[in-house]
Amino acid sequence: MLDVLRARADWIVGLALAVALAVLLIATGEEKALVIGTTTGSAYGMVALGLVLVYKSSGVFNFAQGEFGTVALYALYMLDFEVNYWLALLGAVVVAAMMGFLTERIVVRPLFEAPRVILLVATAGVALLAIGVQIWFGDAQGKPIAKGFDRVDRVKVFGVQVPDQQLWLIAMLAVLAIVLGLFFTRTNLGLAIVGASQEPTATELVGISVRRLSSFVWVVAAVLGAFAALIAVPNGGSFAPGIMTTSFLIPAFTAAVLGGMTSLPGAFLGGVLIGIVQSVATTAPLFEDIPGTKETLVVFVVLLVVLVIRPQGLLGKGSA
Amino acid sequence: MALLEIEELRVGYGFPVLMGISFEVEEGETAVLFGLNGAGKTTTVASIAGLLKPDSGVIRFDGEDVAGRPPTKLVSKGISLVPEGRRVFPALSVGNNLRLGAWSRRRHRNEIDERRQLVFDYFPRLAERADQAAGTLSGGEQQMLAIGRALMCKPRLLLIDEASLGLSPALAKTVFQVVKRINEDGVTVVIVEQNVGVLPYADRALIMEKGTLIFSGVGDEIQHANLRETYLGGDH
Repeated sequence: MLDVLRARADWIVGLALAVALAVLLIATGEEKALVIGTTTGSAYGMVALGLVLVYKSSGVFNFAQGEFGTVALYALYMLDFEVNYWLALLGAVVVAAMMGFLTERIVVRPLFEAPRVILLVATAGVALLAIGVQIWFGDAQGKPIAKGFDRVDRVKVFGVQVPDQQLWLIAMLAVLAIVLGLFFTRTNLGLAIVGASQEPTATELVGISVRRLSSFVWVVAAVLGAFAALIAVPNGGSFAPGIMTTSFLIPAFTAAVLGGMTSLPGAFLGGVLIGIVQSVATTAPLFEDIPGTKETLVVFVVLLVVLVIRPQGLLGKGSA
Repeated sequence: MALLEIEELRVGYGFPVLMGISFEVEEGETAVLFGLNGAGKTTTVASIAGLLKPDSGVIRFDGEDVAGRPPTKLVSKGISLVPEGRRVFPALSVGNNLRLGAWSRRRHRNEIDERRQLVFDYFPRLAERADQAAGTLSGGEQQMLAIGRALMCKPRLLLIDEASLGLSPALAKTVFQVVKRINEDGVTVVIVEQNVGVLPYADRALIMEKGTLIFSGVGDEIQHANLRETYLGGDH
């Protein structure tokens, strides 16, 4: 029994934190921040899952993670003129998957043996290239983007209206978290990816090509980035070049760090936590007197505090 | 015909480590590779398993030159290495470590169950810990798991790098006894060792020094020869 508890310790700590935060916010009358934060945070969580996956497999923070999403948004924007919305959405996900695959083949694989910092800079290069192409393609103007679900007044939580599109985002994240969880604990391929992230040599020795696993991981990460962008960004009504890098990447990175950089449930939970912290910063009277964009400020404060005090993350293992 | 034939094998990491060694291991034998640290034992088995590309020379397995092939190809041919330092997957359970060990035979479900039973039969302790994360096992249990994992792919040649390192003499003996059983079940074994306690279980002894092979003997020669003196003696 104790062993089971210990094995699940990260989940228990995480859930306890989340419940404590929720209770605190409701008690202080900030339940709106809780609802809004959870939905925005879900998108951060989804991008963070992609960051963690790539980090586990390639040992590098992927600066291009956001742009997988923005490229998908462009694909959706253009395809939406031609075909049915849902087909366009599917096409956008496929485009992102292809970008993930090509990034791995053209950039990551040739740098397989290179120091990780070189690969890190290379992923930043991919992100900048993607942003450049986006500007070249359209212009730097914001463009309208369609939603999958338009109704906004169907569901109310604590008096806050939660648009259907947001519900879809939360549902999608929950589904992805469960699917990924099962994938990494039940399937040969998932176990191989976990194994390769810990013992690449032993992974080769049992007959698994670590390089081939890497393409797969980058495709999955790109698809996660695409879903986050395609579902979360339309809530704002429009998008512009580099949007996923400028408004999602840093919170998602903070979420991943909060979760310990290698924990998938940690990334998910970290995303929601960051979302809530941001929305508290925007609405709570406590922060009223701070000028400027408070939500960006608090993300950096959280990031710094975590890095200084608990660099292994809230759920990370002590020595990791 | 020998199952494994090494001819003039030269391997280096920018500087030479193996200076052209040659030896053979017959099918069904247990061969022991002795030598001090830095003699080139690990380099030898790592090259046979495909982790290192030889500069020159021949590694013939079952009549075919396999030098320079990647491990993924060699595993399906039947060469399996228990690497130095065990290298179990710490976050995965014992059962899942074994499951990954059977990766190259993942299409043969029934066979995998049989292999797992066989491994549990060799190492009953692993059966008790099947659901436990490998990182929480003791050193001896991790060694058992590393050997068990290497057996899951149904190897013809099992290479073990430092089976007894860090184990108590009693535990080392247990591991050697199981290795002997594995050998009797038809697997050819090459075991890297610094512990002469392995000798009673060996058919062939090879002694390396500074990247060359200085002694090779079979059967009674190795049981009687004073290997301890031969390989620890001299000026080092």
